[in-house]
Amino acid sequence: MRRSTAAAVGTLTGAALIVGVRLSVTAPEVPAAAPAPAANEQPAGGEAGAASKPASKAPAEKAPAEEKEDEGKFKNGTYKADAKYVYGTISLSLKVTGGKIASVQAGYPTANDSGTINPPAIESLKASTLKAQSADVDAVSGATLTSEAYVKGLQAALDKAAK
Amino acid sequence: MRHVEQVMGTAVSIEAASDLIPGVVAWLHEVDARFSTYKEDSEVNRFQRRSLALSDISDDLRHVLDACADLWKFTGGYFDAYAAGPLDPSGYVKGWSVEVASRRLVEAGSTRHFINAGGDIRAVGGPWRVGIRHPWEAGQLCWVLSITDGAVATSGVYERGAHVWNPRTGAPATGLRSVTVTGPDLAVADAYATAALAMGEQGIGWLAERVTDGYESAVVTDDGRAFTSAGLPLAE
Repeated sequence: MRRSTAAAVGTLTGAALIVGVRLSVTAPEVPAAAPAPAANEQPAGGEAGAASKPASKAPAEKAPAEEKEDEGKFKNGTYKADAKYVYGTISLSLKVTGGKIASVQAGYPTANDSGTINPPAIESLKASTLKAQSADVDAVSGATLTSEAYVKGLQAALDKAAK
Repeated sequence: MRHVEQVMGTAVSIEAASDLIPGVVAWLHEVDARFSTYKEDSEVNRFQRRSLALSDISDDLRHVLDACADLWKFTGGYFDAYAAGPLDPSGYVKGWSVEVASRRLVEAGSTRHFINAGGDIRAVGGPWRVGIRHPWEAGQLCWVLSITDGAVATSGVYERGAHVWNPRTGAPATGLRSVTVTGPDLAVADAYATAALAMGEQGIGWLAERVTDGYESAVVTDDGRAFTSAGLPLAE
């Protein structure tokens, strides 16, 4: 059972690789069982990205696994973990069937983990960021401006003021 | 002083010593003439219709083609100079031309300048305060960065309609509204931002991996979630 737990944690490390996020770098506590096969799995979750750099341990809470022996390296079951990465906390859910990773789901941080700036929140964004800071920027970065958009935009005002 | 030049289909703001500005302006017009896909006899168009052989292209065009090919591979095909069919390297050329202009300014002795080409910025000798446009409110900012020596590029689908396409599906990119990338090279930052936008929400994870190479990012999704990488140089 300890071995299978170890495999599960190792697999979660692999799952983080699949998801394509960098976890806060701490050496994996478990001699990783399987990064290579894990990295070749197709991510099942639509949000999963490409393979990535070393991940750290993800605090794993394993769900009870089926006791059936399979040809694969991992114990069947569904494993969940939260992991920290550069954008905040991410939740991973990993499903193992036939001893192999069947699917990985990743949930990206929601409003609680990152600033929400959807249209209804524009007022609070104004309050927090704009009033405080917009008055004295040197330049504005945005998607390529057409000349008309430029004339109407903040950058034109800045350029005029700086002349 | 600040100079604004209409070139490469956009407005370019140049903040530099006044005697150095004419050289930058001349270079940007030269790039426009040689690389624009809108100009019938540009080098790019002549190469495209094969009136210019690969063996006869300039070193600059060779660099651009090589860089586009490398970025195509590196981004898994999401940065694609052939996305619209014929060769259109302008997604790389704009950032590259500004990068070259900035390097020439440094060589000419400039220790403090910036060039903002339609929202893509290369700055030297800051700290410069660079605002990132709010993707829904043209006159507003959603972040302010402090850039001392580096680039800021933003790709978004709020200007000119949805102009970024997912080259794998041929459909307009969805999921992300605005992607900003900072880092040492403007052409690379711009290409990363465009590729991530084309990837959709997967681009968030892809960008997270670029942090190791010195490229930080800030992303706003279609539904208004905001992501910033831990090392993003936010102004105080």
